[in-house]
Amino acid sequence: MSDEVHLYPYLVLGALLFTCGVVCMATKRNAIGILIGVELVLNGANINFVAFSKYNAVFQVEGMIFALFVIVLAAGEAAVALAIVLNFYNNHATVDVDGADELKG
Amino acid sequence: MFETVRNQPGLLFVIATLLPLGSFALLLAWGALRWGLRPYAKNGSLVDNVYQCLGGPVPGPGPAYVATAAIGLAFLCSFIGFGVFLSEVGEMHRLEHHLHELHLEHAKPHGHKAEPEAKKDEKEDAKQAKLVKKEPERNLQGEYNILRHHWLGSTTWAQVVSTKTKDAERGSILTVGFKIDMLAAVMFVMVTFIATLIHLFSIGYMSDELKKTVEDHEVHTPHGHYERRGRFGRFFMFLSLFCFSMLNLLLADNLFQIFVSWELVGICSFLLVGFYFERTSASNAANKAFITNRVGDAGFIIGLMILWTYCGTFNFEELFAQIRCPKADADGEIVLEEKIKANDKIQIRKTNLSNKIVRCDPGENTEYGWRQTNLAKDGKAVLLFPRDQSGHFHGPHQTEYLFDHPGAKQYGHMPYWLLVVAGLGIFLGCVGKSAQFPLQVWLPDAMEGPTPVSALIHAATMVAAGVYLVGRSYPLFTPEVLLTISYVGAITLFVAATIAVVMTDIKKVLAYSTVSQLGYMMLGLGIGGWTAGLLHLLTHAFFKALLFLGSGSVIYGCHHQQDMRKMGGLFPKMKITALAMLMGVLAISGIPLFSGWYSKDEILAGAFGFAMVNKQHFLLFLLPLATAGITTFYMFRMWFMTFMGKPRDEHVYEHAHESPWQMTVPLILLAILSVTVAWPKPDEHGWPLFDAQQSWLAHQLHHYSQPKTIEVEDVEDAHGHPIPLDVDFVKENQAALAHHAGVGYLALGVVAIGLIFALALYLYGWLDPAEAKEQFPGVHRFLLHKWYFDELYSAAIVRPGMVIAHWCRNFDTYAIDGFVNLLGRWNLNASYWSGKFDRGIIDGFVNVLADASYAVGNGLRNVQTGYLRSYVLFLALSAVALTVLLYAWVAALGG
Amino acid sequence: MLQTDLHSYVQLFAFGLVAGLTGLCAIATVVTQNIVRSATWLLFTLAGTSGIFFLLGADFVGAIQLLIYVGGTMVLVVFGVMLTAQGPFIHMKTNGAEWAISIAAGILLFSVLSVGLGSEYLARATGARGVSKDEDTKDSHHAATIGQALSGAPYGPERKNDNNAGTHYLLPFEIVSVHLLVVLIGAAYLARAKRRKEEIT
Repeated sequence: MSDEVHLYPYLVLGALLFTCGVVCMATKRNAIGILIGVELVLNGANINFVAFSKYNAVFQVEGMIFALFVIVLAAGEAAVALAIVLNFYNNHATVDVDGADELKG
Repeated sequence: MFETVRNQPGLLFVIATLLPLGSFALLLAWGALRWGLRPYAKNGSLVDNVYQCLGGPVPGPGPAYVATAAIGLAFLCSFIGFGVFLSEVGEMHRLEHHLHELHLEHAKPHGHKAEPEAKKDEKEDAKQAKLVKKEPERNLQGEYNILRHHWLGSTTWAQVVSTKTKDAERGSILTVGFKIDMLAAVMFVMVTFIATLIHLFSIGYMSDELKKTVEDHEVHTPHGHYERRGRFGRFFMFLSLFCFSMLNLLLADNLFQIFVSWELVGICSFLLVGFYFERTSASNAANKAFITNRVGDAGFIIGLMILWTYCGTFNFEELFAQIRCPKADADGEIVLEEKIKANDKIQIRKTNLSNKIVRCDPGENTEYGWRQTNLAKDGKAVLLFPRDQSGHFHGPHQTEYLFDHPGAKQYGHMPYWLLVVAGLGIFLGCVGKSAQFPLQVWLPDAMEGPTPVSALIHAATMVAAGVYLVGRSYPLFTPEVLLTISYVGAITLFVAATIAVVMTDIKKVLAYSTVSQLGYMMLGLGIGGWTAGLLHLLTHAFFKALLFLGSGSVIYGCHHQQDMRKMGGLFPKMKITALAMLMGVLAISGIPLFSGWYSKDEILAGAFGFAMVNKQHFLLFLLPLATAGITTFYMFRMWFMTFMGKPRDEHVYEHAHESPWQMTVPLILLAILSVTVAWPKPDEHGWPLFDAQQSWLAHQLHHYSQPKTIEVEDVEDAHGHPIPLDVDFVKENQAALAHHAGVGYLALGVVAIGLIFALALYLYGWLDPAEAKEQFPGVHRFLLHKWYFDELYSAAIVRPGMVIAHWCRNFDTYAIDGFVNLLGRWNLNASYWSGKFDRGIIDGFVNVLADASYAVGNGLRNVQTGYLRSYVLFLALSAVALTVLLYAWVAALGG
Repeated sequence: MLQTDLHSYVQLFAFGLVAGLTGLCAIATVVTQNIVRSATWLLFTLAGTSGIFFLLGADFVGAIQLLIYVGGTMVLVVFGVMLTAQGPFIHMKTNGAEWAISIAAGILLFSVLSVGLGSEYLARATGARGVSKDEDTKDSHHAATIGQALSGAPYGPERKNDNNAGTHYLLPFEIVSVHLLVVLIGAAYLARAKRRKEEIT
């Protein structure tokens, strides 16, 4: 059983996707880029959920159910975020999030 | 009202008292209205009309008429009252006597009357039987009570509820009331009569004040003489208030009412002496009179407090009933039986306690609240008798049971020395008021007032108040106090007379003669001659008023010149004044047939009697005897210098003139009375004019008014009536009665010597007064400086007082103020440092906090970049940090 | 035994391949400067993820992932890219310092997560290690099971007698549906905000 794929590699992959999402959000100046980062983060989480559903009997169904919810929410989130991006673009004539510094202290 | 007065004729005197008060109130209101309207009275206005109706700027003599009418009516009332009193006093006295004897009669079966008195008893029994048979149906007690009620009355005006005493009434009630006895009635007539004459005299004398502006020649201002508004109304207003005060003092039946009037008299004296208050001398004199009197009044009030504490009443009759043993009790006359061991035998000594001060030695307190007490001649305490002695009253026995605070029906006691202090205190008040040594200094200075005031206040009435009070509260005085009174009187009369010899101001001579005569009165009272002292008070009032008014007339005629050295030879110009004054001079000198003779002879006789019994006190006779001569000398000196010889000052002489009728009529009336007031009454044996003991006025006083008397059967007057003698001075009185005539001749001799000296020096010029002065320069200077009393008081009291005041001021300035300032400075410093601490440390701390918060906020502000991406980074890093911390924590926990 | 080994090796290989591709695509998504490319790399990543799901035997989830994510969400993203894809916005460069910081933070985060995931503590807490069952892995989770769970019907052999299991996910499912609806309406509303603004002005 030592060579079987265990839970851990999946989790590492999830972590990688999560980290990539975070770095993506931190580096992309384009609002769409940030949206992309968010999607990456969500995917990383989803991988975890599904991996747990596989390797933990307790989460057998629940892991997948949560993954489904996340997918659905991500879709909704993408729709709203896109709408926000469009609105931001309409107002600022740009999609550079660095221009949106109204919250600066 | 008429009916009320008929039922209680004593109210006549009350009316007489209230009339001047009404006059005062009226004049006060009048003056106040004029004063209030004056600034608003413009020509033609309504206010001006009212103002003019009230007298305008020159009010005229209206106030004088009001005041004179009031006092005149008061005189009328007093005179009628006096008449009614005279008609009833005999009956009242007789009834009292009979009641007393009836009482003894009834008491006899139960009593322990001593055997030797049996003879007398028989005699009395006969009298008594006759009396009882003659008037078997009469209710003697009831009639007596009705008569007494005629002349007594009082109402409560203040009451405090005492919580301490067992007797509800004791020490809780102050009353106003009147008590008319012979003394009060006679004094009323005298005061109102003299006051009426003085009012009349003042209308003339004060006429200068009627002007709108009066120029006061003795007050200098940078613009010449001082000018002021006339004060005619004010003068009469004060006179009215004074008369009211004086009459109220005579009317009073209790010491407190007397004290109130006493102070009123004092303030009137202050106001009238300071009538020309713009003159420094007058205002100083007013202050001096007032302050000197305060010294006396302090003593008076101490006496009042002692009596109030122990007796709980100010009413004279109640006080006397408590302090003096009653004449009789249910067992008859009160006789104390003592067992004395003498020569190995036990003897029984009997003392009749009637009217005496009974002394005792209170024992230890018992648990029942009383103490067992032994009566003793030199006991430390005075037995206080029950106030309510009606019913079955028992007099003191050898052993008595006492309470500290006696109720109406209980015996009590007070320390003897306190009774002495009370007596001395009351006498000190009299010393101040009657200008006795050592408080005599104010009276001569008080001559700064207008002359009628000098006559009214400082001769006839106010100074009489002191003598009157001594006479009134006579039973309160213990022998020690009476001896003090005698010596004070003797010293005063001699000192004042010697000073009068060298005075050149006509009013000052009279002032010192007044002081001297008041000394005679005090002496007379002190040696047991109650009647003599008060008779002299009455006669002196008349002739001294006459002399003062006469001097006023002279001064008025000479345009306010008072110095006798500038007068002389005025007789042809002022015959009425001169002759009237001569009557006064003769009276005061004690020339036979003049009123002063009757009174002064009696005093001298009393003094002789006293000196006979108490040989160590011979001075009490020698001083007044010598002074009789001196008095004659200085009085004639005054008269000669004023009216005889050659005019010394042409200017004064030229302007001298006789005074108007308002002034001469009083002089004539007073002159007549000065001669006749003490005359005896003609009886079936003739008219005993030349018997100095037969003065009618003296007899009235002696028989009907003299307190604490005893009737000794073997001393009888011309009509066979026993003469009441002073219980404390029985032997002295008997000696005086026996030697009266001899002393009279002796006195006449001394007077003659004085008269001869006066004639030699001032009328015939056999001797030169200037030479006499040069011969005895020291004596002259000594007398001229009034025995250096003023200097002595200045050095002994005023200057030490000033020094102490300076010390006090310095103490205040340096010690107390310094201390306060030091405290203040400390406070300032403390506040300064406190401020520093607040600003530096507390504020600093808060500021540091605030600054730190600000700095942190400012720093953190930069963290809020507003860039989405940086927030993401923060999130990531925070997650890392938190996870690391979590691990570290778990690792630490897990060990 | 052999079969099992083979199965294991295939599985291991397949996992390595798919996971590697997915990770690379994800990194590429991050690294690329062109937004269009980034979206494209994302597409591959998502697809890779669905592959992972399939490998894990979650066929239904993988299908849904493909359908909704790769099909729907990506279309939306591409839509957005195209709507805003004007010259300057395609290549918006981030400066080197930011890159350095971001990458450092990323490495930190990744290392923390990886280390943490591998730690005993987390393993115990999740019960991850040694609980997998061959029987279970063989059974793929089909749509029927998930549908049963969502609709509240009993599923699985060991839960048949569980009375409470019936209502497990029906309500959340409904809520999510409504949520989606709201999101759609909201997105539409937000997207047409500009025209409204013009109307007002």
